[in-house]
Amino acid sequence: MAYYSQAGEVTRGVPLHSPEPSATEGPRVRVVLGKKRFDAHDVGARYIMRKLVEAGMETIFIRFALVDELVEAAVQEDAHVIAMSILTGGHMVIAADLMEKAREAGLEDRLFVIGGVIADEDHPKLHDLGIDAVFGPGTKPEDIVSYIHKNVQVDA
Amino acid sequence: MAEQAGSYSDAGIPLKPFYNPEDVADRDPAKDGRPGEYPFTRGLHPTAYTRTPWMMQQVLGAGMAEQTREIMNNLVSEGMEGYFGHKVFNVVLDNPSKGGVDPDQPEARGHVGVGGMSLSHLDDFRRLIAGWDLNTSNFSIITGDTCLVALAMFVVAAEEAGYEAGQIRGNSMNWLLKSFCVDNPDFPPRSATKLSAQLIKYATENLPYWNTTNISGYLIREAGANAVQELAFTLAWGIATIEACLELGLDIDDFAPRLGFQIAFHNDFFEEVAKLRALRRMWATILHERFGAQNKKSMQARVHIHTAGDTLMYQQPQNNIVRVALQTLGAVMAGVQSIHTCAYTESVEIPTPEQSRLALRTQQIVLHETNVPKVADPLGGSYYLENLTDEVEKAAYALLEEIDRKGGFVAAIESGWVKGTLVDELVRKHEMIDDGELVRVGLNKYQMEEAPESRPARFTVPPEIESEAIRKITEYKANRDQAAVDRALQSVREVAEADGYLMPVLLDAIRADATQGEVMDVLKSVYGWGFVTN
Repeated sequence: MAYYSQAGEVTRGVPLHSPEPSATEGPRVRVVLGKKRFDAHDVGARYIMRKLVEAGMETIFIRFALVDELVEAAVQEDAHVIAMSILTGGHMVIAADLMEKAREAGLEDRLFVIGGVIADEDHPKLHDLGIDAVFGPGTKPEDIVSYIHKNVQVDA
Repeated sequence: MAEQAGSYSDAGIPLKPFYNPEDVADRDPAKDGRPGEYPFTRGLHPTAYTRTPWMMQQVLGAGMAEQTREIMNNLVSEGMEGYFGHKVFNVVLDNPSKGGVDPDQPEARGHVGVGGMSLSHLDDFRRLIAGWDLNTSNFSIITGDTCLVALAMFVVAAEEAGYEAGQIRGNSMNWLLKSFCVDNPDFPPRSATKLSAQLIKYATENLPYWNTTNISGYLIREAGANAVQELAFTLAWGIATIEACLELGLDIDDFAPRLGFQIAFHNDFFEEVAKLRALRRMWATILHERFGAQNKKSMQARVHIHTAGDTLMYQQPQNNIVRVALQTLGAVMAGVQSIHTCAYTESVEIPTPEQSRLALRTQQIVLHETNVPKVADPLGGSYYLENLTDEVEKAAYALLEEIDRKGGFVAAIESGWVKGTLVDELVRKHEMIDDGELVRVGLNKYQMEEAPESRPARFTVPPEIESEAIRKITEYKANRDQAAVDRALQSVREVAEADGYLMPVLLDAIRADATQGEVMDVLKSVYGWGFVTN
């Protein structure tokens, strides 16, 4: 269902797809995917989310102004994976902020991934900050799905 | 991957290996007239580009007014021109400025002057236009939702510089309805069309040279649409805008001549040319038959082309030079009025001066070396193109009818159907790319290892820009009469709440030195602000 936030309300984002009851009942991987509110590019995020949902994961889409909103969403949703899609730069600063706030919130055991237009030279620096994986332009969604499946244990 | 049986256009229209006279037998070429004649299928002008070339409107802007002026000067010295030698400045703002967030707000951190110019208060505008002759300079400011406030700033800055408001030339984007295709917070669709109409009303009554609206197929295309969807949604957007203006009591022939389009030129060469010919024919027909326009200018779809950013690849970026050149040639063959050629690094970020120059040179080479611009509609009469123009038009009309059945474009956006349609199409396209069915050279075919040091040079904004912008706006706020600002903002609120005529109070607020963000906060709180989703 489409809707607008009310006047004056802070929009912290809405689920893109309401999770459908899976054919195989059981615990599902939960991914909170954040995109900067100022970053208009949502094609990549939407494509990846569609593929994650098809792979049986729950996805929650957050447009954040400050990483605090992303962290809060991850806490509330008890996300296994915290993902960011960034296509307008600033990823080094944002990733540093995110990892700091995530540690304060006790989320350091979660999987942190970033996708988008991220220069190759920045990948090692992002790994140093604690980002587990960086997916640059042209990454196939199946590679992201299998990476998540390999690295996330969902408790029954 | 084996070739699939049969060929299709990018939008999925079946193609034949060749076309014959019988493929166009049931159409009457006379109904398309000549170039310059209704319904303008063959172009707006019988003289092609021989009287004046198209406008070379390169998107530019970074940092603050000072850095942006440097880019303007570079491009002017390199031969960037509009009609009859006029200057044209297609100034893009940074994201906070587009969203009406001043640089001193926490949300702006890290975004100030990045990807566009920071413009938040009257003094920024004064410094942007200082010294340019406004009688011969066009300013198209790529705002987001701030277009009414930005226009008010331009008018006040121009008046201060000694011009009458009615002398300014340029373009408001006025694409407030874009929430379904641009993932930024926006005014809700119903507020958006109302506000768009308010800008059009003011400009129609006061700014004879101002192009009020840039109906943006480009944004729709970049959000995932194919050519047919881009065409249909663009027309639906135009129809919704016209209906909002008529509701305000405007006369169709007073405002329609100043509506314009920004359209993508994508990879499927003939389908894109067909799309632009169909756009002109459909717009003319809709204006004349549906809205009763009588003025020829009301029926003319003036088109600015933005070569398609989403065709550009991160991998092997120099290949993008070739893509952009082909798209530019196609746009010229389609007879458009204005072109932005992407720099080959636009898949990553805004260009360096050298990359920017190469993009401009691409247009200049097509203009001067190919001889193509001498003849209008050079592809017209091709069995294939004429057939494809009809097919694209037919499919777009079918989509338009579906939108009408859904209660119009605004209702279709509100229901989530428009966004859902775009997402389905982008998923289909990306699956085809992932499967190798759609070839993207360098991405899914002919890949190679690329050393990081082989990457193109990167444009950087000086890091002190943000603190400089904050210093400027802080100083600006410190030197004003706060009581006058408060009164002006209160007037904006009252008029907005009464759904009254906004531009006069917006102009007063700017004259009282209110900042863009302050005015926008009032508008957001009254008209609503957020995301449409599905």
